[in-house]
Amino acid sequence: MSMIEFKNVEKYYGNFHALKNINLEIDEGETVVLIGPSGSGKSTLIRTVNGLEEIQEGQLLVNGFDLHDPKTDINRIRKNVGMVFQHFNLYDNKSTIENIMLAPRLVLKRDEAENKKMAMALLEKVGLADKAANMPSELSGGQKQRVAIARSLAMQPKALLFDEPTSALDPEMIGDVLDVMRDIAKDSSMTMLVVTHEMSFAKAVADRVIFMADGQILEDSSTEAFFNNPTEPRAQQFLSQVEHH
Amino acid sequence: MVTLGIFDAFTPQNVQYLLGGLGITVGVSVISVILSFIAGSVIGIIQFERLPYFSKFVGTINNIIRNLPLLLIIFFVYFALPKLGIHLPIFWATVVAMSTFESSMLAEIVRGGLESIDKGQFEGARANGLSNLQTMFYIVLPQAYKKMIPPIISQLISLVKDTSLAMGIVLSEMTYRGQIIYAQNSTYIIPVLIVITLIYFLLNYGLSLIARWFDSKLA
Repeated sequence: MSMIEFKNVEKYYGNFHALKNINLEIDEGETVVLIGPSGSGKSTLIRTVNGLEEIQEGQLLVNGFDLHDPKTDINRIRKNVGMVFQHFNLYDNKSTIENIMLAPRLVLKRDEAENKKMAMALLEKVGLADKAANMPSELSGGQKQRVAIARSLAMQPKALLFDEPTSALDPEMIGDVLDVMRDIAKDSSMTMLVVTHEMSFAKAVADRVIFMADGQILEDSSTEAFFNNPTEPRAQQFLSQVEHH
Repeated sequence: MVTLGIFDAFTPQNVQYLLGGLGITVGVSVISVILSFIAGSVIGIIQFERLPYFSKFVGTINNIIRNLPLLLIIFFVYFALPKLGIHLPIFWATVVAMSTFESSMLAEIVRGGLESIDKGQFEGARANGLSNLQTMFYIVLPQAYKKMIPPIISQLISLVKDTSLAMGIVLSEMTYRGQIIYAQNSTYIIPVLIVITLIYFLLNYGLSLIARWFDSKLA
């Protein structure tokens, strides 16, 4: 069953045509990496999936609900779709563990003892159990991002969106974050859509690679086929550029 | 006595009378502070949310009120509203006028405070499944209020001082009563004004200490 499905989706910012006739299907449990030059619409596309950006035309089905239908309750979709941002977006006024516990408490009405136990287990999983009481301002970028991932996982989502999760990190922090993401991708029921420039991560983890440029999907192929044998000239050019540094 | 009569003004009767005025000043201030904090927050949030038509409408009214002299609003509430059939006792007329004016000032502070919060905080919370209201209440407002504490307290300080404008409708608050006392004897003018000055200062200095305490507590 498909978890995310774009059907002839169009997105405009005023006169700027940001997404052009997007058709894309992502199955439950799939890990899909979205790459392309900056300004190609990758971030815009991923942000439409949980309604942070509205689409103007077409259909966007997430977990069976149409995001373009005004009757759809967006909060219900967001409950099932987590998102990890480039700039972490942790709650600055909450401690690490409160960042993780807040949404399950408010939205899922999870029992407090249970909530705490799960939050601690998640902090353990991302290697930050000793930072439970710290405020976000006391964490490094890599630590913040791992807390943000734990926060998303605490909602037990069906899908996770990653919008350039390592782009704002110092090089030595990137590995820890990617390790956590690799771990999540192993879980066969989790759908992952990842915008990234980390080609080694894409090669190792992705089932499929989508290549975008100028608001269009130019290539949608298996990871192996994409890296060994890209068909689109722009994809070939992009790959040769990112692999040269 | 050779002491120039500086303390003559402060007979037990006069002191009691003056302190009664202080009670009215504080009463008007405290009630207006609470009302305008609540109303100002609501108006500020409405403006921030950019609801179609409604936010513009509220914003326009707010701007009009904010740009009127407070004394005019006091006159309007006390002298004009009765002509329209709304009669308020002088104390409550002052409270209504002050709260109206201060709400519009605080609304502007609240709106600005909300604008200063990083968009990522909203997106993080919304993507995490929180509703718009929950995002406001648990994430954005706490951070915004923390930033707003200094301007809000300074607004409240001017509110306390501005209660003296209600002299204009002969509300028997502290400054008015001081005037009554020194009207008895012109040698009272300086000592009475000095004491009133000290009281206003202590009241407002107390407020700014509270502000500083909040600041250190929340930082």
